[in-house]
Amino acid sequence: MCDQTFLVNVFGSCDKCFKQRALRPVFKKSQQLSYCSVCAEIMATDGLHENETLASLKSEAESLKGKLEEERAKLHDVELHQVAERVEALGQFVMKTRRTLKGHGNKVLCMDWCKDKRRIVSSSQDGKVIVWDSFTTNKEHAVTMPCTWVMACAYAPSGCAIACGGLDNKCSVYPLTFDKNENMAAKKKSVAMHTNYLSACSFTNSDMQILTASGDGTCALWDVESGQLLQSFHGHGADVLCLDLAPSETGNTFVSGGCDKKAMVWDMRSGQCIQAFETHESDINSVRYYPSGDAFASGSDDATCRLYDLRADREVAIYSKESIIFGASSVDFSLSGRLLFAGYNDYTINVWDVLKGSRVSILFGHENRVSTLRVSPDGTAFCSGSWDHTLRVWA
Amino acid sequence: MEEWDVPQMKKEVESLKYQLAFKREPSSQTIPELLKWIEDGTPKDPFLNPDLMKNNPWVERGKCAIL
Repeated sequence: MCDQTFLVNVFGSCDKCFKQRALRPVFKKSQQLSYCSVCAEIMATDGLHENETLASLKSEAESLKGKLEEERAKLHDVELHQVAERVEALGQFVMKTRRTLKGHGNKVLCMDWCKDKRRIVSSSQDGKVIVWDSFTTNKEHAVTMPCTWVMACAYAPSGCAIACGGLDNKCSVYPLTFDKNENMAAKKKSVAMHTNYLSACSFTNSDMQILTASGDGTCALWDVESGQLLQSFHGHGADVLCLDLAPSETGNTFVSGGCDKKAMVWDMRSGQCIQAFETHESDINSVRYYPSGDAFASGSDDATCRLYDLRADREVAIYSKESIIFGASSVDFSLSGRLLFAGYNDYTINVWDVLKGSRVSILFGHENRVSTLRVSPDGTAFCSGSWDHTLRVWA
Repeated sequence: MEEWDVPQMKKEVESLKYQLAFKREPSSQTIPELLKWIEDGTPKDPFLNPDLMKNNPWVERGKCAIL
């Protein structure tokens, strides 16, 4: 028998150019079309062109990253611990829990100090946001949010309002009133709208603007009065978990950290990313500016905290120990910047000597993960919030 | 980042170029200045000065506290 292969040609009108030609079946986004051989060739090379563009962009990005590392290495002429050798070591610290704030019905997720150095706002998984007078441990205000997991809360600079949000994907502002007849929830103003959970929020220098970070991978700046989006910040490759504004003297920047292991510094006016650091090995849970604004620290699920020098554009210190294997959830500096307080998922708080890189103290007390930690505005104490439902003020 | 398409990759490349243009300073300059900042601030840091701690509102002094 003879072996013969027959080619069957269908003639008809091409689906693309409509000319009468011999047609070939072609699949575009899982839909079958009939193209003439000319249009089929064009489509094949278009696809190739698109892939080539993506691949060439990726390789360009890689080479740029390589150049960044080279530039940074050139200025790496001195180590922090070398210069810090001449500095005196710190003595023993006695830090104790001075107040315990009880009242939340579930995990405390976030807290913030008021500028008056005694009021604190805290938010919890049970949907409650409470304002405390931490001296007396009295609760001054309480609001129940319509969602659970209120992951972010912040005190307004004036002390007259608080902002909070979480799984509702929004950031809402509540004016604080001492009028017993007024219902706080009635005056609520929805300011920010994200497409995923709100992970962090902060007022800028005034009560008028709020900066937010979200699980949708973006940060955004909003006008409180109108709820208008003023600027958005794109660049993280995954959820953004934290943010911190630069101290007012240094200008309009903020730093954010995310699940993509990157810490990014942004220009608030242009929306551009000025610097990015990708040295952590896991999610960055917390970022905090150094008091002078020339550096910032980060705490991560990789069980380390790191210090980044913004002027030299590189990581200058890693705070870690082999015995610390749980993630750091929250970090903050003491007033002078010499001490770094970090709360961990193993229920402890470690106090690090920023210059020497050593741990100077370990604080026990919480009975579950420490989820949030902030030093008071005058540096006399710091407050920690935990999954054990309580907040503690330490001094 | 693996699922990014062409427009997103273009933005990433632009952002990297912008970051590359940053005016970096050598560590030999920035680190000593960081140290100096800390040393200047140390006398005022309540955690680093036991005498300041005596006036710390959080630490109980006597039996009575005026709030």
